[in-house]
Amino acid sequence: MSVAVGTVVEGMDAHNKVTGQSLFPGDLARPDMLHMKILFAGQPHARMDSMNTSAARSHPGVVSVFTAADVPVNEYGLIKADQPVLVGIGSNKTGGSVARFVGDQVALVVAETEEAAAEACGLIKVDWFNLPVITDPFESMKSDAPLLLPGQDTNIAKHNRLRKGDVRTVWNQCGSIVECVYETPRQEHAYLQPEAGLAYIDKDGIVTVEVAGQWAHEEQRQIAHVLGIPLDRVRVRHPAIGGAFGGREDISVQIVLALAVWRLAEQGILRPVKIVWSREESFLGHHKRHPYTIRAKWGANDQGKILAAEVELVADAGAYEYTSTKVLGNATMQCTGPYDIPNVSVDAYAVYTNNVPSGAFRGFGGPQGAFAAESQVNRLASDLGLDAVEMRRRNLLMDGSLGSFNMPMPEGVTIRQVVDACAHQARWTNKSYASPLSNHLRRGRGFACAMKNVGFSFGFPEECWAKIELHGSTEIERILLFHAGADCGQGAHTVLSQMAADACQVPLERVELRAADTSTSKNSGSASASRMTFMAGNSILGAAEVALHQWRSEERPAIGEYRFVPRQTTSLDDETGQCDPNISYGYVAQVVDVEVDTETGHVQVMDVVCADDVGLAINPQQVEGQIEGAIVQAHGYTILENFILRDGYVETPYFSNYLIPTSLDVPDSVEMVILENADPQGPWGARGMA
Amino acid sequence: MYPFNFEYHKASSVSEAISLLNQHDGAKVLAGGHSLIPAMKLRLSDPGVLIDIGKIDDLHGINASKGAVTIGGLTTHSDLAASIVVPIGLSETAGTVGDQQVRNRGTIGGSVVHADPAADLPTMLVALRASFHISGPTGNRTVSAEDFFTGMFETDLEDGEILTAVEVADEQSGTGSAYSKLFNPASGYAMVGVAAVVTVASGKCTEASVVLGGLTPSVMVASSVADSLVGVKLEETSIAAAAEAVQNDLGSDVLGDIHASADYRRAMAPVYVRRAVAAAVERAG
Ligand SMILES: Cc1cc2nc3c(=O)[nH]c(=O)nc-3n(C[C@H](O)[C@H](O)[C@H](O)COP(=O)(O)OP(=O)(O)OC[C@H]3O[C@@H](n4cnc5c(N)ncnc54)[C@H](O)[C@@H]3O)c2cc1C
Repeated sequence: MSVAVGTVVEGMDAHNKVTGQSLFPGDLARPDMLHMKILFAGQPHARMDSMNTSAARSHPGVVSVFTAADVPVNEYGLIKADQPVLVGIGSNKTGGSVARFVGDQVALVVAETEEAAAEACGLIKVDWFNLPVITDPFESMKSDAPLLLPGQDTNIAKHNRLRKGDVRTVWNQCGSIVECVYETPRQEHAYLQPEAGLAYIDKDGIVTVEVAGQWAHEEQRQIAHVLGIPLDRVRVRHPAIGGAFGGREDISVQIVLALAVWRLAEQGILRPVKIVWSREESFLGHHKRHPYTIRAKWGANDQGKILAAEVELVADAGAYEYTSTKVLGNATMQCTGPYDIPNVSVDAYAVYTNNVPSGAFRGFGGPQGAFAAESQVNRLASDLGLDAVEMRRRNLLMDGSLGSFNMPMPEGVTIRQVVDACAHQARWTNKSYASPLSNHLRRGRGFACAMKNVGFSFGFPEECWAKIELHGSTEIERILLFHAGADCGQGAHTVLSQMAADACQVPLERVELRAADTSTSKNSGSASASRMTFMAGNSILGAAEVALHQWRSEERPAIGEYRFVPRQTTSLDDETGQCDPNISYGYVAQVVDVEVDTETGHVQVMDVVCADDVGLAINPQQVEGQIEGAIVQAHGYTILENFILRDGYVETPYFSNYLIPTSLDVPDSVEMVILENADPQGPWGARGMA
Repeated sequence: MYPFNFEYHKASSVSEAISLLNQHDGAKVLAGGHSLIPAMKLRLSDPGVLIDIGKIDDLHGINASKGAVTIGGLTTHSDLAASIVVPIGLSETAGTVGDQQVRNRGTIGGSVVHADPAADLPTMLVALRASFHISGPTGNRTVSAEDFFTGMFETDLEDGEILTAVEVADEQSGTGSAYSKLFNPASGYAMVGVAAVVTVASGKCTEASVVLGGLTPSVMVASSVADSLVGVKLEETSIAAAAEAVQNDLGSDVLGDIHASADYRRAMAPVYVRRAVAAAVERAG
């Protein structure tokens, strides 16, 4: 019997967030703390020839200034350690004195006040030698382009190649061939809480960093790597997190905070250090959604069966790898849509430039690929005189379909049910018509569908740990759940608690969560890739089973620890791309009505119908929140937002010129259809939520 | 940011405000504060001394008499938007300024004295051939709206002077006024703002005044458009044709920014001219 799963319970963070009691990293304070400011390079590509920090060091209130020479192992990165922690003279890594984008960090100033630290940053004198700036990935791909990173013979970070069937043999059987180039823009995460954190050395000498992130254990690993100290000398804790959307997957202030307190301690200064980035610093200091150029040629026969898809994708990775190589994988997958296409040829490239790095952002490369795929299908349908939904029905993947990676899809393919449910709810027809208000306004509707991987892809190792302690004597009076998963605002902690209550069959009120702290939990992986509900749920089920077994053997407290490892995925074959890329998928379809001012080009989104198969909505309200939020973010991405980089410099570093949707821009409501077709591998059948 | 330090004085009459202004070098008048305070917080402006005129009764209120409407310099955009005695195009224009909070604080005097090229009221006031009443240390004077605006953030107002009121003529039957704009998506300011005042008799246009804002460094009278309208039977095609003439009025100096390039604004000018004129014609009856 379900006691806590599948029902709406109030988010456990809701009350404190609404009343202002939740402490976000910027709210943290400790007695005697110091303040830090970072000097950013402000150069898209330049080598540091000299730096003078003496005026900064003697500025009133300044306690210390740290530069590249103070960094024990001057490199970091989530997938590849290719970025200097601090760029500059005395760096112990090759190429460590070169700034490769404007947001590379150059020096840290620690002072009694934030103001003094900021003033001192302005007193640091740096002489730069300008290097050629490359901002166009197509230029960067050319064989004669200057190389941007040391130790590489190309600026192409990754090339994915898919070959299924042979596209060349079928073009002549196609009744329609559609060729088009799609360009998708950069996007800023625009979370309300800019990067911030507090670091200190605790009474046991452990370097502790309290910060907003998405993966505490990975942050711990990178900090330990840079400081050259064992993992257990570093602790990362996440307080309330003010949004992430992938923007906190990579390091921002974690390492520099740890570095500062660690070096200060060596000087005998045992004081906490705090940093809060301004909005401008946040906009240029963290990565963005990858801009893509996607060239697509698709062909279908007269009956609307898609016979071939030939696609080339070029992603601007920016200055460092971040998660570019993985994001590229998702785009590679999504660029042929949720369709069973017998002949596929895809070449996808992620390319370094001197732009702000690109990285994880909600959908992780998927939206870019899906935009091209769905546009192609709509064009083919209209060319063949077929209805857009009917065209999809003739091509959708099913259980047993091979997909573009030429391996069977994991069981539980429900894209057809999702498409049907969405079309039904929207009373689908795709006629365009004049607005009742004015004849220069025209209304039209569009259809799109997609799939989204659950979990890390392409062989990346997966794991998720949970521990459950059952307290009480005759009955379970209290459950302690230990889990490292980050709640970035998506409701993960509420959902984890619900799952623990259900797994142990006790009321939710008895669950106490100890979350997001490397000192109390082992690795749960990141709160990303739509994986947390799925992985955490499975780890909680495992831990509960062990704990309940102990309970029945009269252990008090009964403790169950479990490390869930899902089925192993595989990486792309170099020649054909053949692989089993993902553990599982969620499926989505949408109908959107828009009104277009045909004289000015303005687009107003009128109505949205969105159908998602989530397997099981552990907390339906949180699922609705995710759907609505994602739609607003997508709306901004598609219609409003415009992140402008000119020659590597950010021209839109404020909310006054980088415009995200407000309540006046978005439709009054989104009609949601939540489908619950169980995923055979999911906990309680759940697929991905967040 | 916090503004630089400043001294604050409150005036209770126009004459007191003028003498305070003239006692303090670089002092500025504070009305609704919705242009001045942001500029001070961005540290683009550092007046040192502020003379608050908000409580001066003489500067408040809208009065209609003898064919004219006198609007006190401190009249807020909200009051203007709600007024039924001012020309309909003027209340319409005030209703498009920023958002409700901005309209509740911002004043007509502040808007015209600030002379932001993207502001709304100046455009409509020039189209309505309004006159501005000004008081200063040497007495009172009146200047036409068209002569008042001399450039980007520049006006005919001298140091030490205060704009006390704006006067427009009553709208006669047969005359219609309307405003149409391409909103800046963040602030609501005009990226293209067009004010049109049109008089129609026996089906033909007898008089037209069309003025452009947001497009050029200062308000611009679109005389080519007006000339193309006068004497013509106003219907969809003739209005559209006249609107195209706006390209003759726009010189080479069209403004552009990241929200709307100069090319886009130029392309949109005839669209908004057409919309404003068509609405004014409809109101002319
Ligand atoms: C978010 C936001 C959005 C906005 N959107 C728009 C918009 O869409 N359209 C638009 O037109 N405007 C817009 N504005 C500006 C708004 O209309 C201001 O209120 C107006 O420009 C200035 O009026 P104020 O009373 O606030 O003047 P203040 O800010 O107090 O003063 C502005 C200037 O005028 C001087 N001044 C004021 N009154 C007098 C007077 N009687 N005599 C002499 N000098 C005087 C001051 O000394 C100062 O130099 C916006 C403002 C904000 C903050």
